Amino acid sequence: MATPTDPDAKTYEQVWRAERRHVLAALARRHGDPADCEDAVQQALLAAAEQWPREGMPQSPRAWLVRVASRRLIDQVRADEARRRREEVVEQQERALHGGASRPDPPSEHEPTAVADDTLELMLRCCHPAISPSSRVALTLRAVGGLTTREIAAGFLVPEATMAQRISRARATLAGDGARFGSPDTEELAERLAAVRHVVSVIFTEGHQRSSGDTVVDEAFADEAIRLARVLRAADPDDPESSGLLALLLLTHARAAARADHAGDLVPLEQQDRTRWDCALIAEGVRLLEECLPAGEVGPFQLQAAVAAVHAEAACPQETDWPQILVLYRMLDRVAPAPATTLALAGATAEVEGAAAGLEVLGRIQDERWHRPYAVRGHLLRRLGDEQGAREAFATAARLTCSVPEQRYLHRLVREPG
Amino acid sequence: MKYVILIQSNPQPWGHPTSDYLPAYQDQTQEERDRGNADFDAMLRQLSERGELLGGEALGDPATSRLFRWADGERVITDGPYAEGKEHLAGFFLIDVESQERAEEVATAFSGPGETVELRPAMGGGGDAD
Repeated sequence: MATPTDPDAKTYEQVWRAERRHVLAALARRHGDPADCEDAVQQALLAAAEQWPREGMPQSPRAWLVRVASRRLIDQVRADEARRRREEVVEQQERALHGGASRPDPPSEHEPTAVADDTLELMLRCCHPAISPSSRVALTLRAVGGLTTREIAAGFLVPEATMAQRISRARATLAGDGARFGSPDTEELAERLAAVRHVVSVIFTEGHQRSSGDTVVDEAFADEAIRLARVLRAADPDDPESSGLLALLLLTHARAAARADHAGDLVPLEQQDRTRWDCALIAEGVRLLEECLPAGEVGPFQLQAAVAAVHAEAACPQETDWPQILVLYRMLDRVAPAPATTLALAGATAEVEGAAAGLEVLGRIQDERWHRPYAVRGHLLRRLGDEQGAREAFATAARLTCSVPEQRYLHRLVREPG
Repeated sequence: MKYVILIQSNPQPWGHPTSDYLPAYQDQTQEERDRGNADFDAMLRQLSERGELLGGEALGDPATSRLFRWADGERVITDGPYAEGKEHLAGFFLIDVESQERAEEVATAFSGPGETVELRPAMGGGGDAD
């Protein structure tokens, strides 16, 4: 911004959202407690809301916000230190009286971390092992994404008070673990990075899965996840799984426009209008994969991205290179065995070796309350000409699913013979 | 993942907490009752602290309910419980937890003698067909 301007509230909102995490990261580097930093940033934003409309937006909004937030934080820290000194005096007096044990060492200042990027540093903090996976997601969206508690609550379809409780609980956990919380060592870093990748993929799935409801929030989640995945990759372009994650998100997001029909119902992959897929995102995802796959260690995100790329490269469903997908799912089954992988493997096996072979793989899945294997079973039975069995399987799947659009889709399959 | 925990009970007279009015509870020693109540309170506090509790209500006497039905193309409104079942819905909790395992852990802590606790997943709005 070269000159002071007087934009409308929406522009301020955009500036705040863009700058918030930088300001927060700048503060967090100097001061460990994320709750204090967030409060200070919040106060700076309030001050901005008052001053900017009156005096115009400063030339560098970020510098302005950092300055104001730091001042608030310093005031806060001073007040805390004054309180601690008072408490220490009392404690010394008590120790003098009772000859008690010595105090533990005060928490050390931050050690410099190998990771330079602000956002990544914040993400690593938010994915502390002491926090439950769903709270990691909430905290990351709040602290790094700059989404409001209301937006996050709406995204997860829970009351705002519940989400506020979840976030403040996570913060309290971090504050309690504060001293060790700053910078994970190299060994822990790898683990923490994996947790961050998981959180990013959950955020994306949350935004991407929902075809109904508040689409603005959905988009915010998907966009945020892609942005975070870009940060992860930028921080370490040589990490093939971070590249794989970004590739997976881009290749999946490329299909977003074709995933739902006008009624908001989900359109399965083979019925999607492929001309509506985003070619630029596909090209970027494929390019990323071509870079990272030969790099060596092939992890689950790279494999899933590779499957998405094979689908993306087929002009129509009939041209899909199923033998290649089968190979990829067999690798995934070895690297990261999971029921969802077995299910995908069953589908790919059916495409290459026939429906009966697919059913055999499907038989490995134990969970009788999971709807999806029944849906796949329905498709395979229908292909084998067992219409009665297919209808029963679809009906069971429809009964078991907790997704309303999916239930509508499955009921349609029961009614309309293939 | 959201779940509803349904507390089924049939206390005579109807009253909350339903346990206080159930013979199976009354047969317990005071110590057993205190332990059960403490477990329940601890789980409730934990749910609330973790942000897993979305809500819940204790329900009135089934006899106070009105049923709205259709018969022969007409609206029929009648008094009273839907079924002459031995158990009625006494109240419910709506929770949002990470997994089925956690939901079962919560439901276990909410179950007590003389009551049946039912755990059901809530239907979500979205889906993921592709």
